[in-house]
Amino acid sequence: MLSKEEVMHVAHLARIEIDEEELEKYQRDLKILFDEIDKIKDLDDFDEDRMFSPCENAFDLDRRNVEVDKDNLLLNVPKKKGNFIEVPVMINE
Amino acid sequence: MDYKITVGIEVHCELKTKEKIFSPSLSCYGSMANTNINVIDLGYPGTLPLLNKEVLEYAIRACKVLNLNITHDMHFDRKNYFYADNPKNFQITQNETPIGRDGYVEIDVDGVKKKIEILEMHIEEDTSKSVHGEKSSLLDFNRAGVPLIEIVTKPCINSSVEAVKYLEKLRELLLYANVSDCKIEEGSMRCEPNVSISKTEKFGTKVEVKNIGSISNVGEAIEYEVARQKEILEKGEVLKEQTRRFDDKTKTTILMRVKETGNDYRYFPEPDIPFVHLTDEFIEKSLHDLPRMPDDRRNDYEKAGILPINIEKIIANKALSDYLERFLDINLVIASNLLLGDISAYLNKNNISISDTKLTDDKFRDLVNKLDKKEISNKIFKDILNDIMETDKNINTILDDKGLNLINDDSLIDTLIDKVLSDNSDIVNQYKSGNERSAKALMGLLMKEGKGKINPSSANQKLMEKLNS
Repeated sequence: MLSKEEVMHVAHLARIEIDEEELEKYQRDLKILFDEIDKIKDLDDFDEDRMFSPCENAFDLDRRNVEVDKDNLLLNVPKKKGNFIEVPVMINE
Repeated sequence: MDYKITVGIEVHCELKTKEKIFSPSLSCYGSMANTNINVIDLGYPGTLPLLNKEVLEYAIRACKVLNLNITHDMHFDRKNYFYADNPKNFQITQNETPIGRDGYVEIDVDGVKKKIEILEMHIEEDTSKSVHGEKSSLLDFNRAGVPLIEIVTKPCINSSVEAVKYLEKLRELLLYANVSDCKIEEGSMRCEPNVSISKTEKFGTKVEVKNIGSISNVGEAIEYEVARQKEILEKGEVLKEQTRRFDDKTKTTILMRVKETGNDYRYFPEPDIPFVHLTDEFIEKSLHDLPRMPDDRRNDYEKAGILPINIEKIIANKALSDYLERFLDINLVIASNLLLGDISAYLNKNNISISDTKLTDDKFRDLVNKLDKKEISNKIFKDILNDIMETDKNINTILDDKGLNLINDDSLIDTLIDKVLSDNSDIVNQYKSGNERSAKALMGLLMKEGKGKINPSSANQKLMEKLNS
């Protein structure tokens, strides 16, 4: 079981609110999940260099095909002020 | 015992690549808000980042000039956080495999050299720019995805003077490597020092200062922080780990936020960007057109005999120094005097640059050589400056057209000297009776007689020979 504080910390990082009932459920569920992840550490001679990607040096890829239809880009923006995107005031800066 | 000051500095520099790091949007400053954007910059679900090769080339150049060891096998990491400036909720950066490690920048403080050690340099994407109002914040995504390098020093800086010297040198190196514009006022270079003081070997409590608008203000911010921290410690109070911002008007630092338990960014390797293997060949190619660094140029200027004050004037003006790079084989003292003096005065007056004028490389070379060989005098140069800058004619044609070719004909000079001597026998007598200053008066009359067109040094030599014979 994870501690209540650990679950609350994970919830905070994900910016979700959970009630008491969910808290207990996640104490159990997250434990199972974390145990699975921990299994990686039990691998023989595990080291991070083993991490690989299916291909290397993909920086020659053609970057031209990316959608740049500017008219549609900002259609999902809830609020605009002139050309700026307006959001609730950010105090943490 | 006094407090020991310890400073480490993080610097973010925007790379001046044409396009953004993970999208083909233009990466430029000063456009209308939210015009250089696309689905990748806005973090639309399902979009994939495409790494810009140019970013790697620029970062490799930065590594080279900062003496960093290049990491050949590297990848990008996700730094997860929730903040409106970045709707993906993560920033793509390098946490585990920064492209450069263990470098240094050498500074000179009052003749004492010191290596400021650089812990690492990594590549990351910039976030959108936010403007904060009373009731809302405004976001401009033109900046989102602009490539950055972050350069982190070890805590090895021990005074505000060292910090300022380091930043000036760093700026100069990145500027000359053509890696970044390094314009602090436009945000393409951002400096964040962290400052602590301690009376023991152990480091004191670290305070980070953000939002500093100039290199000299970094010095002032450090001075202020040291004084503030001393006062708190002297009162027997405990310092808190904080982030503060510099206020330009009051020259003080103001609390931004108290760091809680440290950030939990949950870094993990970016799965959408394949790992990067930098081959020796790729690195070599990236460094192929690296311009000469300022210290090499300073050496050449010094050897050529340019005055130290002028050397620094040239280095401070990269365009000027780059221009001089094409003329290292001619008299650099004359060349630099022209460029810093009459030519720059001409350019400033007309608000143009050399490329806007008719001054070709050949013409400049010819001009300097003619002045060097005293084939034209300074006076004549001033007379023909406008023609040099504004017509396609070469120097000889200009001189011919104006009848200004310097007289080098010995017999003609002799005739002129004889005339001056016979017309002014009273002054000649003054000279002969011991008034040496009379020779100068005669020389002046000779130049006047020659209408400024005779070669002054050979004429003077001949005049003195005749006077003393």
